[in-house]
Amino acid sequence: MSVALLLAIGGLTSVGLYLITARSLSRIILGFSLLGHAAVLGLLTAGGPPGPAPIANQLDGAASANPVPQALALTAIVISFGLTLFLLALARRQQLLSGEDLVEDDLEDRRIRDEEPEAETDQGADAHGTSAEDDDRFAYDLEDADVATGTEAAS
Amino acid sequence: MLPFFGRTSILWAMFSSSAFWVIGVAHVLGIAGAAMLGQRSIRRGLAVGALAPAVAALWAIGRLLQDDAANDPIVSELTWVSGLDLSLRFQLDALATMMTVLVSGIGAMVFVYAIGYFGPKAKGGGRFSASLLAFSTSMLGLVWADSVWTLFIFWELTSVTSFLLVGHKNTDGAVLAAARRALMITGGGGLALLAGLLVLARESGTTVLSDLGPVAGTPAVWAAVLILLGAATKSAQLPFHVWLPGAMAAPTPVSAYLHSATMVKAGVLLVAVVGSSFADVTTWKALGMAFGTASMIWGAVGALRHRDAKLILAWGTISQLGLLITLLSIGTGKAIFAGISLLFAHALFKAALFLVVGEIDIRTGTREIDELHGLARSMPITFGVAVLAGLSMAGVPPLLGFTAKEAAIEAVLGTSGWERWPALIGVIGGAVLTVAYTLRFLLTVFGSTPAPHADLRDDDAPAVADTRVAPRRLAMTVPAVILSGLGLLGYIFIGAVNSIVGPAATELNEKSSVYELIAWPGIKLAFVISMLVVASGAVLGVLASRHTQAAPQPLGADGADRFLDGTLRMARHITYRVQHGSLPVYVATMGATAALAASPFLFALEADHLVLWDTPIQAVLALGVIGAAIMGAFVNSRLGAALTLGAVGLGVSGLFVVHGAPDLVLTQLLVETIVVVGFVVGLGHLGQRFPRSSNIWRNVRLGVAALGGIAVMAALAAASANPSGQPPIADVTEAAVEIGGGNNVVNVVLTDVRGLDTLGEVVVLATVALGILALANARVSGPSDTSGGSAESNGVASDPKGVTT
Repeated sequence: MSVALLLAIGGLTSVGLYLITARSLSRIILGFSLLGHAAVLGLLTAGGPPGPAPIANQLDGAASANPVPQALALTAIVISFGLTLFLLALARRQQLLSGEDLVEDDLEDRRIRDEEPEAETDQGADAHGTSAEDDDRFAYDLEDADVATGTEAAS
Repeated sequence: MLPFFGRTSILWAMFSSSAFWVIGVAHVLGIAGAAMLGQRSIRRGLAVGALAPAVAALWAIGRLLQDDAANDPIVSELTWVSGLDLSLRFQLDALATMMTVLVSGIGAMVFVYAIGYFGPKAKGGGRFSASLLAFSTSMLGLVWADSVWTLFIFWELTSVTSFLLVGHKNTDGAVLAAARRALMITGGGGLALLAGLLVLARESGTTVLSDLGPVAGTPAVWAAVLILLGAATKSAQLPFHVWLPGAMAAPTPVSAYLHSATMVKAGVLLVAVVGSSFADVTTWKALGMAFGTASMIWGAVGALRHRDAKLILAWGTISQLGLLITLLSIGTGKAIFAGISLLFAHALFKAALFLVVGEIDIRTGTREIDELHGLARSMPITFGVAVLAGLSMAGVPPLLGFTAKEAAIEAVLGTSGWERWPALIGVIGGAVLTVAYTLRFLLTVFGSTPAPHADLRDDDAPAVADTRVAPRRLAMTVPAVILSGLGLLGYIFIGAVNSIVGPAATELNEKSSVYELIAWPGIKLAFVISMLVVASGAVLGVLASRHTQAAPQPLGADGADRFLDGTLRMARHITYRVQHGSLPVYVATMGATAALAASPFLFALEADHLVLWDTPIQAVLALGVIGAAIMGAFVNSRLGAALTLGAVGLGVSGLFVVHGAPDLVLTQLLVETIVVVGFVVGLGHLGQRFPRSSNIWRNVRLGVAALGGIAVMAALAAASANPSGQPPIADVTEAAVEIGGGNNVVNVVLTDVRGLDTLGEVVVLATVALGILALANARVSGPSDTSGGSAESNGVASDPKGVTT
């Protein structure tokens, strides 16, 4: 096994990991692509040493490179391509919505984190309810809309 | 006698062979029917719910009359994973048939009773009827179960359905706390039971309950302790009994059914069924008797202390269950027979007593014995029921409870060795207290004696007037009359009872077959003890009914609640630490964990199969790829990052060329071009620099990245050092040409061998394209002006409120 290939795979994995732990969605996409490359190279390496291309009528009896990992790798390339493009679209969308392409902390999780653990013993449901309303402005909108239609119907 | 059910009746034979599944399906359909019909009117839901248990009970009685139960047990198995011994296995032997009569018979009566208990306009009828029938179904599954898996599944199902039923009044915080306590204690015991059953199954070499052999040694002790823990939690044995008084928050039909007659018997039944395996394990007997005798005494004391009629019965149940556990863990033929007889008798009289209390509750509006006076006059039928059932509980002739208790005293007298004295003291002491609390119950609820603290009351009437009573409801009276009447009939026709409990006990212990219940034993030691017990208990009971004390504190229940609250608080603390909401930290944590998990590969490394490079150009390309990747990580503009991504893609394509993979090269080049273009088009106009992260976090990320890279390299190198064989390259090539008819082997593999996968790939790409289209066309309602008014922001910024107005 070639140490050069191993290093390339290890390097791609490292940089990929470093990038997908970033805040910026475009860096995460970059990291994903690099990890994809590492995986494809890894597949190929695991399949055996290099050799002539597996084209039967041009081999003249010589042993070719292992074709099976290549077939698997093709699928991997295409799928990671699809994933990358979809993530790009998501990043674009996020950027249109917020002006940035940053990954925000999960609101639900942050609410759990911000809750005072001691205060919530018996009044757990209440504390939950109020904080949900505080965080979720959309809920207010819905309520307002309901009230509005209600008064309209009444009048 | 029954020509339709005659022994030779083909109809009966046909029904019997498939009845097992018919009854199961009938129950499941009944749950759905009860849920739907009960939604409109609770009475209809309950009436439908009563059908399936009634059929099951009649069928079981039919089997008992035919002697099929003992001679011809029905076994039914539904294998899930045969290699793992995972199957739903049921066996309907004599014991299971007897339990079916109790579970389904009392179940059907409770359904009828509930029609009277709930007014016609009660809410939540669908939920209640369906839950009650779901419980009945689970309980049937539990008594029929013949494999450890089946037993455990239905055991837990009874816990869950019991939770739903106890918490039926789901707007009351105290009720919900009680339901939660019951679920947590019985559910926790269920986990101990599972562990114990697994140990038992492994030691005994089978998961089939009826095939379990004797076990011994340290694992057997563990199994004994764990299984007894499960039984003690379910059967509310000290110190796990705290959930049972709380569960009295349930509607009384539920308490009558679950908390006296059936569910709490599950633990007793478990001790009976697996007890023979532990015949040689002293821990089993000692721990079982410790649970049993302690609960017997403490439960009876509790019944003497409480002033709520329903709680008196609940504590009495704890005591009676203790007696059953004691007898069954003694395990001799005589004790097993006495235990099973008492189990039968107890189900009848205790269910009847609960029905009485429920009726009193509904018709007078209270269950406090201080507020109930002279019901003997105003509720004569209920009084009669209570006397019959109560005296059966106290063990007074001529009632079934008397013969069963006689058998129990005989069994304890018949023991030898260390268990004799603890058992004697427990059983006789418990029996005296039982007579006492029964008498106190009857006197204080039905008697017209003025309340002892009458002078403290506001109204200055010296003798308290009888409690006002609402009119009788037939649906409540009939089941109570039947159940208590059976106690008397059982004594008169003692032979019939013997033919039910005898085979059931023999199923558990062959030596039980020689014993039978005797209506009138004559003046023997057990009888003398029994009469002394009744006499001293009566004195104690009369004294206790005159004596007033404040309602006792719920000892232990608050402790259980504190423990549960503490557990929840701890869970919240852990969540608060672990679930912080930051995606990068989650990813880093997962990456580091995966990398550390790969560390064993470091020890499997070998250097001799490694070469520096396959061709020098490979080394150059590899260096280029690494360099471009690192540049991509540290370049500060998005455009630059996109370009380095392209460079990495090119380098990887070059590596494919070296490796001999032309198809990959072509695909990679095409893909890479589109990705770079997409990057530039999609995000390039952002143009800003990447946000900077803190130095500490940066170092953590670098550490995780280094770990991950090392782990992948180590795993690959170690894996290639130990190949499992040579790849069949020549065979694949030959097959591609001859079968696939193509020279490009990779293409043949993709289209011929994994054609479906390739189709799936196409579907994925099409889905991605659709998703991108949807995202691109979606309207933007956020701060769209920050995007600089670029051509992409073609979505019309619209205010969601604008739509509603």
